[in-house]
Order: sequence, then structure tokens, then C-alpha cells
Amino acid sequence: MLRIEGLTKRHGSRLVLSDVSFRAQPGRVTAFLGPNGAGKSSTLRILLGLDHPSGGHALIDGQPYRRLREPLRTIGSLLDGPGAHRSRTARNHLTWLARASGLPKRRVDEVLERVGLADAGRTRVGRFSLGMGQRLGLAAALLGEPSALVLDEPVNGLDPGGIRWIRALLREHAGAGGTVLLSSHLMSEVAEIADDLVIIAGGRIASAGRFDKVTAGYATLEDAFFALTAAGRAEEAR
Amino acid sequence: MTLLRAVAAELPKTASLPASLVAVAITAIGSLGITLLNAFSVRNAIQSGRTDLVGYTSPVEAAFSAAPLGTVGAVILGVVVISSEYTANSSELGGGRQITTTLTATPRRLHVLIAKAVSVVLLTAVTAAVTMPACLTVAHLVVGGAAAASDDLTDTIARSVGAALYWLLTALIAVSVTVLTRSGVIPLIFLIVNSSLVSFSLLLTKLTPLARYLPDLAGLTLFARGPFAMDHPLGPLPGGLVMTAWAVGLLTVSALVFVRRDA
Amino acid sequence: MTRSLGDAIAAEIVKLRGLPAAVATMLGTVAAGGVLAAVVTASTEGADILPVTIPFLQIGPILLGVLAVSTEYTGHQIRTTLIATPNRLVVLAAKSVAYLAASMITSVAALGAALASARVTPAGHHPPTRIGWPPAGATAYLVLIGFLGFAVTVLARSLVPPLVAMLTLVLIASPLLAGFTEHSRWLPDRAGRLLYQPGADAVLAPGTGALTLLAWITAVAVLAIATFRTRDA
Repeated sequence: MLRIEGLTKRHGSRLVLSDVSFRAQPGRVTAFLGPNGAGKSSTLRILLGLDHPSGGHALIDGQPYRRLREPLRTIGSLLDGPGAHRSRTARNHLTWLARASGLPKRRVDEVLERVGLADAGRTRVGRFSLGMGQRLGLAAALLGEPSALVLDEPVNGLDPGGIRWIRALLREHAGAGGTVLLSSHLMSEVAEIADDLVIIAGGRIASAGRFDKVTAGYATLEDAFFALTAAGRAEEAR
Repeated sequence: MTLLRAVAAELPKTASLPASLVAVAITAIGSLGITLLNAFSVRNAIQSGRTDLVGYTSPVEAAFSAAPLGTVGAVILGVVVISSEYTANSSELGGGRQITTTLTATPRRLHVLIAKAVSVVLLTAVTAAVTMPACLTVAHLVVGGAAAASDDLTDTIARSVGAALYWLLTALIAVSVTVLTRSGVIPLIFLIVNSSLVSFSLLLTKLTPLARYLPDLAGLTLFARGPFAMDHPLGPLPGGLVMTAWAVGLLTVSALVFVRRDA
Repeated sequence: MTRSLGDAIAAEIVKLRGLPAAVATMLGTVAAGGVLAAVVTASTEGADILPVTIPFLQIGPILLGVLAVSTEYTGHQIRTTLIATPNRLVVLAAKSVAYLAASMITSVAALGAALASARVTPAGHHPPTRIGWPPAGATAYLVLIGFLGFAVTVLARSLVPPLVAMLTLVLIASPLLAGFTEHSRWLPDRAGRLLYQPGADAVLAPGTGALTLLAWITAVAVLAIATFRTRDA
């Protein structure tokens, strides 16, 4: 389970996150929604131990990320592209990642196969299209067969086949008892797979809970999103 | 007309690169710092009567000894102006390089290259115009009356102009070479090495006298006066012409390549 | 912790091998060792090989050190690195070990190539090149000066600025200052050169010269570690 508790983040005098709390439960797909600059990426970066919070905690099975003994086996993540140097081959990137986490080398071939990059293993990352880069990032997330997945805009740049594939992957992962936290701007996509919703606006949680509870009283998820984030923005303005 | 517009677009682009600031800082502040340190050494040596400890006793030499830093500044400016166009930006995929934007905005390739060369020349000239007089003034203030002989003013002016010309030509050579390599690291290393006393060209003079026709050595006498680390350097006029020929030749080759190559 | 350090070192070695620029730097440095020694030997002045070639060869390990770190900041690779190995100290330690191994191999091979090529090249007009050869000292100098570049790059997080700073220091500023102020002996490269030119300085011996270079590295490294640990990735 992923637990975010009272998270606050300041950049200088600017308050990026203010008392952000929510959970992502095992066996469920939790969608993390919010306009650009609302604080989604900041929250995920703190969850993954990349940035320091100014206050509060982000815990994975009760532990902060930096304390995890085997991070890649615990939580797989994808943030904005593959996070690989452009002159490496895809295989070299996954190989060092596997070595760093003490994972067997065969996992590299398995994940390349799984994300549909089996033929592109020797291609340099700089030659990849946006979608291929995204697939490489997903391969890295799946490398350690983690129980939790944290994905920032996973469908970004994927072709229709890729979008369908990832939808099935996430459902399957949650179906097997895994935790899925994903952020997305595509409301129709989210409406199809999310069990729970967390909506953030202006660095504050606007609403969080089961999908039907959060969207109750609105015709669609999109309507709920605009209404809830507008309220957050108004509060921000004050 | 479109060329003017291209220059108007390239000049602020060049001037606002963080690396340009570094280049200007190395040239101006670095040269001043070295001049200052050397001038103090010269003054102390003269005052203590130990002039054997320093290579020269004139304030002018103290200022011109810092000229290699200006060359480094020119190299950085020339290289970065081109290499920054080819660096993938942080969105990292799909070849998000600035050159695509530049060439869609100004499709006439030759104008882009000329505009970049003009920007580099202008920036280097302005930096030189500030740096050289500042270094000379500082050296004179520090060494001042302690100096044994007074320097020849005409020669000092000629050397200042020569140093500025050397920097300009170096910057243009850096632009040309980087157009050919499209990556900054290799030209940066080669050209910085050759601006230094540890220079490949200087090493080659030990093998063949032809090495003095290499651009960095040919132009040396534009500002430097002996003793030199090589035999029979070319004089200021022939040397300056040889170096200019190198710069023009390399620019022409790079222009031909730049116009024909896929972005 | 021990297992994760071992894994992290293995990962850093795979990373370095996967970078064409790093491999090219290593091979280029070795080739440069051979060519430069041949030029010096064949030249008309017949000088000692080490003092002439090391100032050129040091560019290799410096570039290697800068590349090992700066490539983390291209394509946000640092994010992937820290996600796989959240402990910052382990990351820096592993990366240092990988750099030290790579630069050691490169330096030994480059000096070996220089020595071999000096033997086979016909000497120029003057008496044959003296091989006044403290090769271990030269190797140590090359590895250490590159490590200074490595540490500077941890602070700078980029390629060109630390590379330019290091090259300007060792190639331009240091020789320029050397002629005019005796304090220049405390510069990292001037002090370190005593490792391969023992007796070149009136005050510093090879041991104290090496210590001075190490002190520079330690000072930058302490700052780099402190920054790397607390800074957001």
C-alpha cells in the first residue's frame, strides 16, 4: 500500500504541495488527476525518494522509499520518459538497472519482449520515438516484478495498440492484488480503468475516494474534474 | 533583409546562452585576474631586484601574457553557438533539437550560419574592446613607475588589435569546426589545448617546420613577442594572413556542408 | 548495504561500458599515448617523454571523469539511477570505483603504449630519449587529476562547464601562473606533477605534492557529497 501523509513541499517561498494526504490500495487502480502544475509530479518524485519533502511522509508498505531494501522489486515507476542516456542501447540501459538491483539478466530479455521492444534492444535510446521511449520506461518499471506500480502519464505517446496493452496490463496487475497509482490527463482512459480517484489542484487534494463517490452528482468524470479543480483554483486565488 | 533579420534573431540567442556568459567571464575576468597576479609578480621582482625570477619586466607583457584566456573564451563561444543547436533538450526524445526550430524559422541555411558567425564576431569584438584596455590599464597601475623602460605605444595598440583579431579568427574557426562535428566536446578539447602552451601544434613544430603554418601558431605574432617556444615564427602580417585564410577556408567548407546536410 | 554496494558497482561498470563516448575516450587516450611518445622521440629536441606527454594525456582521464558523472544528467538518467539505488552515498561510492577502475586501466595502457612506441620509434637528431620513468607516479597522477574532474562535475551536473574549467585550469591558468608566482605550486596539477617529475619543485616532494592534490580532491569531494545528498534529484 502507498500512503501519502500530510505532504508539504516548498520551493523557496512558493508552496508546491500543501498537506497532501491519500492512499493507493492493493488490488485497486488509483488514478491521480490534476491540471498541469497542480503538484502530481512533485508528489510522485517525493514518493520515489527523488525529492525531499518539506513536511509529511510518503510511505511504501510503511517505509519511505530511501529505506527500501529492494526498491525495484517493491515498486516499479515511470516518470516522464525512459530516464536513459541517449547514446546507450535499450539493452545496456536495462542491464545496468538489473545489475544495480541484483536482478537476473534474463529479466532484461523478458521485459523487452513484454513491452514489444525485443527487436530494438540494440537501438540507441536517442533514436527512439516518443512511444518507444515510453515503452522502455515501462520495461524498467516492470523489471523487478514489483507489487506496486507508479506511472506518470503512461499512455503519453503510445499508439492505439500500446494504449490497449497498457490498459490490460494495469487491470491485470491490480487483479492479481498489486497496487497501481497512475496519473493521466486522459479522462476517458481513466474512466475505463480507475477504481479510486485522487484529484489535486493548486497543491491541495480537492477530492479523493472511490470512483463513484468522487464523481457522484456529475454526468461524467470530466465534469467532476473541472468542477473540483476549479474549486481548488478558486481557493488558491484567495 | 532576411539576413538582417537572421542576425537580429541569432545575436540575442547567442548572447543569452549561459555558456556565452562563461566565455565572456573567462575572457574578461580571467584575463584581468592573470594580468593582476603577473603584474604583482613583476613589480615585486623589480622592487626586490630579482628580475631573473620573471620572464619580463614590462607591464604590457604582463597584460598580453593573459591573452590565451581570451582565446579560450573565443573557443567556447564559437563552439557553443553551434553545439547548443544540436543538443537534445530535456524532453529528450524524438530528436527535440533546437536546430529544427532554427531552420524552420530561417530556412535559408547560409543566412543562419552567417548570422551566427556575425553574432560571435560582434560578441568577441566587444569583449576584446573592454578586456584589452582594462588589462593594460591594470598592469600599468600595478607595475607603474617600477617599470624599467617605457613601452612603445604604437606597438601596444597594434598588439591589442592583433590579440582581438586572433580571438575573432579563433572563434570563427571554432564555429566552422563545430558545424562539421555537430558535437561540442571534441572541438572544445582540441581548440583549448591548442590555445595553451601544451599545444599539439607546438609539438608538431618539433617534427616539421610546416607546423608554423597551422592557424593557432601562424597568428601568434599578432600579439605575442618573443621568446617563442618554436623557431622562426611567421611575422604578424604573413601570420595574420595565413590564419585569416584558415578561418575563411574552414568557414567556406562548413558552409557548404551545412547547406547540403539534412538537419 | 554491502550487497547493494557490490550491485551498484557492477551497474556503474555496465553503464560506463555502454557509453560510446567513454569507450572512445579510453581508446583515444591509449592511442594518444603511443602517437605523442613517437612524436616526442622523433622530434629534434629529444626530451623526456613523461613531462611532455602527461600534460596532453591528462585530458583523457579528465574527460572520462566528467563524462562518468555528466551523462547522468542527460535524459534524466540520474532519476533512474536513484530509483534503483536510493542511497546517495552508495551511488557516489560505486561511481567512483567504476571511474577509478576505468581510468586506471586507461592510464596504464596509455603509458604502456607510450613506452612501447618510444622504444620502436627511431630517435631524432639528439641523443635518444631518456626514459626517466616513474610510471606508477604518472598513473597515479592521471587517475587523480581525472578524479578531481569527476568531483567537480558532481557539483556542476553538466558536461561543458566542468570540462572547460578543468582544461582551463590545467592547460592555461596553471602554466601561465607558474612563471610568475611561486604560489602556483599549490595548484592541483602543479603539485600533482611531482608524482612523475620528482624534484621539479624546490618545496614540494612527490609525497607532499600528491598529498596536496589529494587535499584538493578531498575538499571538492566533501562539498560534492554534501550537495549530492541533500539536493533534489
